[in-house]
Amino acid sequence: MAREIYAYKCRLCGTMHYPFRMLCKGCKQNDFFEFDTVPLPKTGKLLTFTTVYNLPAQYEVATLGLGIVELENGMRMLGQLEIEEPEIGMAVKGSVEVVRKETYDDYYGMVFTAA
Amino acid sequence: MRDVYVAGIGITTFTRLEYPLVEIASYASMMALKDAGVTEVDQIYVANMGAPRVNHQTALASAVADSLSLLPAGAAAIENGPASGAAAIKAGFQAVASGMDDVVLVTGVERMREVNNLEATDFVATLTHPLTEYIYGVTLPAHAAMFARLYMEKYGVTERHLAMVGVKNQNAALNNVWAHLQQGITLEGILDSPEAMTNNPYVAEPLRFFDACPVSDGGAAIILVSKEKAQELGRPMIRLSGLGQATDTHAVFEREEPTDLLAVRKAAKDAYEMSGLSPEEIDVAELHDAFTILEIAESEEVGFFPKGEGHIALEKGETALGGKIPINVGGGLKGRGHPVGATGVAQAWEIVTQLRGDGEKRQVEGAKTGLTLNFGGFGNNVVCLTFVRED
Ligand SMILES: [Zn+2]
Repeated sequence: MAREIYAYKCRLCGTMHYPFRMLCKGCKQNDFFEFDTVPLPKTGKLLTFTTVYNLPAQYEVATLGLGIVELENGMRMLGQLEIEEPEIGMAVKGSVEVVRKETYDDYYGMVFTAA
Repeated sequence: MRDVYVAGIGITTFTRLEYPLVEIASYASMMALKDAGVTEVDQIYVANMGAPRVNHQTALASAVADSLSLLPAGAAAIENGPASGAAAIKAGFQAVASGMDDVVLVTGVERMREVNNLEATDFVATLTHPLTEYIYGVTLPAHAAMFARLYMEKYGVTERHLAMVGVKNQNAALNNVWAHLQQGITLEGILDSPEAMTNNPYVAEPLRFFDACPVSDGGAAIILVSKEKAQELGRPMIRLSGLGQATDTHAVFEREEPTDLLAVRKAAKDAYEMSGLSPEEIDVAELHDAFTILEIAESEEVGFFPKGEGHIALEKGETALGGKIPINVGGGLKGRGHPVGATGVAQAWEIVTQLRGDGEKRQVEGAKTGLTLNFGGFGNNVVCLTFVRED
């Protein structure tokens, strides 16, 4: 099954959260973690981006593409980019892959390519 | 609430310092104590971001209190990311304004060069949202780069404008003996010449090497006192007249309008309101130019220029020494350096220097009011202060 990244929907007022909040930013009443998980859409458009050259030690690559994507449901997320020549506004599609490796852990996140 | 005055200031050279963290903090503090003419304080606040992680030292304020023989004064450290310095000043202000304390030492310090540059960058990156930003390899330069690209797209800011901020501030540092960078630069050298790409490579497109502040060690300190105490000490009467602090979303992508810095806007608004000043009445300002784009955006958000016109004012020289509102005349973070926990206090140090008329070659003539903007996180925790000279 394809891996997902989840948004959190308040059962009391329906407000969507990404990232997760301990208290709902909509109703501020949700004291008991009453959130439903909803997979984030995997398509959207690129809002802004950069290519980073000075990377943290764990990254065994020369450069890293990063961008903020506006997803098709209007929510936004940050992800890694595997796009040769990114442009603001371009359509992108994501898949959940390893984005950071540490000694004992792999971290999964969204990697976007041109749609 | 009582009025609060700055009676003493001190600073170390910002550079790579081969001294223990506590000695750097103590040296700046000793200068401030001496400048104020006090040997005892009621309270000590030490601003610092990285001691436990970078310098393997905890409970820094206790160590500083003892090192300075200021026992049994109360002491606490304040960690608030890159806005630690001004947050510690806020704590000191509240201590004096409330009437609890008459004399408070606020010291900011950082020793980041104890680790290599990549480790320092990673240490600062730990302030980003752990699950939705940090794991992707986001660094502060990456955040600033994505922000800069949006600003360019929306307002017509160019790489040339960014370079102009860098040239202005790094060259301003030549008038500040305490500043880290003591080498002049030109637009020709970092942008136009055939060697520019070698001299000034991209670190995170569209930001280049000279768009970022250096990684520095250093300390800065100020002494906050009540009005009675200030009169008794007889130093120039510089009042900390306004203070605002605001927060914004931890994850930067969540902001409704990603080119807005709402916490900057709110912190400045509150500081103006408290001090009864308007942006037009500020004579000299210290903005948080960790990246060149930030000086442009902040100059708009604190109300000096309309949104989207900061780069035009820059072009006209309005933010340079002699301009309408001189910004970062001591080099800013770009030229003076950015020992993270010290920066907010160093900004206050520069403004007090200016209001005392001690700025020498970088003096803003007749400056009576000043503003500092200390920008934490990527704009998610911001402190704005205003200072007024009273004669
Ligand atoms: Zn809710």
